[in-house]
Amino acid sequence: MAREYPWRRRAGWWLQNRRYLAFQLRELGGVVSAIYGLIFLNLLRTLRAGESAYTAFVDMMRTPPILYVNLVLFALLVWHAVTWFMLIGKSQPIQFTERPLPWRAVFGVNVLLWIGVSGAVVYLIFGGF
Amino acid sequence: MAGRDVVFRVKRYRPESGGKPAYQEYRIPYRDDMVVLDGLNYIKDYIDPTLTYRWSCRMGICGSCGANVNGTPRLTCGTYIRDVHKGTVTVDPLANFPILKDLVVDFDDFLTKLASVTPYIVREESGDLSKEFVQYPEDVEAYRQQSLCINCMLCYAACPVFGASPEFVGPAASALALRYIRDTRDEGADQRLARLNTKSGIWECTFVGECSVVCPKDVDPAAAIQTLKFLATMRHMRRLLMPGAPSR
Repeated sequence: MAREYPWRRRAGWWLQNRRYLAFQLRELGGVVSAIYGLIFLNLLRTLRAGESAYTAFVDMMRTPPILYVNLVLFALLVWHAVTWFMLIGKSQPIQFTERPLPWRAVFGVNVLLWIGVSGAVVYLIFGGF
Repeated sequence: MAGRDVVFRVKRYRPESGGKPAYQEYRIPYRDDMVVLDGLNYIKDYIDPTLTYRWSCRMGICGSCGANVNGTPRLTCGTYIRDVHKGTVTVDPLANFPILKDLVVDFDDFLTKLASVTPYIVREESGDLSKEFVQYPEDVEAYRQQSLCINCMLCYAACPVFGASPEFVGPAASALALRYIRDTRDEGADQRLARLNTKSGIWECTFVGECSVVCPKDVDPAAAIQTLKFLATMRHMRRLLMPGAPSR
């Protein structure tokens, strides 16, 4: 039998086209959401530990390096959310209409809902009551 | 239009030599109506008869002439040279598969996976096989998209998950599984979903979506896999909450 040459994936495969790159950034955004979760848990931990611990943690989070890192993480998180909403319209296992809805329409409705809910949360935290 | 040349950079692999695959360049004349397969045929007919590749129908039906053209999985019979070349057309064997010779890759693994999802109508042996199984246009429409799959393997070549985890059942086999699950004449949904509801089945898919981008027949395997995830979850929940109830 002839000798087969095994397939070997290149390390930079995800730079091959922009869709692979978008996917990798989306996956990285998933990791970032976990990091945000850990930061939030630590915030709760310092809150429980007392005022000085909480103030020290908040002050540390306000330092420029941490703010820049947070900006990058936040951008990745937004990318993760946006691309996730894009996927909803591309797979419609439950159809309420005879034909699948255009994915852009599903994406648009989801983004509007997302913005609405986010606005309500921001209002509850900073603006209301 | 005469007098125009294009360079074909073709990946060659000679298993008997023991060496690694390497590119070989051929300069050929081309016209605007030539597809990449025409270029390969020109090389084989007039320059190098040892060049090896698969092809048959030349009309996007047999699915045998797939190759990576300038890095993207395509049917070479449906890809015009004028659309892809900037002086050079690079042709590689389909990614993610072991190479047998030149542009010919080994599909045996796919055929095993395809067989594992029973890609045919399954009927219970005790059923009445004498009656006609009527299908209405809307019944056919339910699986028409997936039935267009020609097993060309472009989706596997585009799937980075399959590239990283070769045990993944993959896009085409999943799409074909859904094609038969959606068929009103079929009774094999349960066994297919049992096969697909595994680590090497549909749950390996991370929805990159490239399989649907490169599919020459618009089968949309990525969406098919997400639908299968939903069906597999419903089957699991039914078995959990209503043991003994029909699976479909």
